[in-house]
Amino acid sequence: MADKLVVGIADMKMASREGMLITYALGSCIGICLYDPVLRLAALVHVMLPLNMETGRKSPLKYADSGIRETLKQMEARGAKRSRITAKIAGGARMFDVPGNGSLGNIGQRNIESVHMTLKREGIKLLKEDVGGSVARTLLFDAATGQACVRSYGKPELIF
Amino acid sequence: MKKFEDFNVLELDTIREIGSIGTGNAATALSGVLGCEVRITMPEVRIMGYNEAIDWIGGPEIITAGVLVRLDGELKGIMLSVQQLDFINLVLSRTVGQVVEDYSQLTDLDRSALVEVGNIMISTFINALSGLADLTITLTVPAFAVDMQGAILAVPMAEYGGQSDYIMTIGADFICNQKAVPCHLLLSPDIGSLNFLLKKLGVLDG
Repeated sequence: MADKLVVGIADMKMASREGMLITYALGSCIGICLYDPVLRLAALVHVMLPLNMETGRKSPLKYADSGIRETLKQMEARGAKRSRITAKIAGGARMFDVPGNGSLGNIGQRNIESVHMTLKREGIKLLKEDVGGSVARTLLFDAATGQACVRSYGKPELIF
Repeated sequence: MKKFEDFNVLELDTIREIGSIGTGNAATALSGVLGCEVRITMPEVRIMGYNEAIDWIGGPEIITAGVLVRLDGELKGIMLSVQQLDFINLVLSRTVGQVVEDYSQLTDLDRSALVEVGNIMISTFINALSGLADLTITLTVPAFAVDMQGAILAVPMAEYGGQSDYIMTIGADFICNQKAVPCHLLLSPDIGSLNFLLKKLGVLDG
């Protein structure tokens, strides 16, 4: 099999027809797999925070809302049709159970909500998800089949 | 307010010195717990991009234990003690008198010992910093997780991700009986608090 394309934090990569996209160690971050089955165009974006409120907006891929929009834009530029694009997501865990009212604990939860809302707003159907809990996840996404796979510590691999 | 990437040499030297004092105190405390000599390496201040930070700590998927404490009051931030298996076994052999082959074998007692050692190191570090700069800093109860270190390190990144594309880590490694032990003690400060701290110490330029 060809080498995997590694997607870093606040990063996005695309592959068409073949190739494996991978993003490592999603904690509270979320990996969003977007797929156009006709073109077999796959995009994987790794977002860290729920909403982009930055002035200047230099790094749209860091945030769920602007990250999904930017990815859709780039997919459409390669001929993908929005009505065909589907999504699978993983991540949004709570890594540490910290008492108190800090945002530490619920960034994951807020990320999940923001991803759901943005996908809905953009008219993208969410097929499957593996979110929440307290485990880190590594997410693989196969451009040939549109199949996603989640690897976490101490658990069997989950294919969806 | 200065961002992480705007600090000059004097300011970075001051931050490094804070790291040195904090880590030195933590090493003394660790030495007391373990009953052996503990030295530290030259403390470092690193300002890294997210993916660079993950590479620096040794790759995203390696499983480690992490003890996390949140700082509040006049200095806000997150402090992490990232403990790899060799360090865990060193602590366990000296405290509860046994070792583990894998993280899954950690018992409740083992976890409790590791949290306590992490908490002692973090508290001593912060206590030294608080005395040095005359700051009131409160700490949360420590939280513990065993998982991929990329996800553990992403916690301070996400916390301050809205402020910066970089993460600042202040810390050093420990040497115990002439052997490097894989334990990172990392302070990730909030940018506003770091500016306040430098101003208080009289080194903030501008």
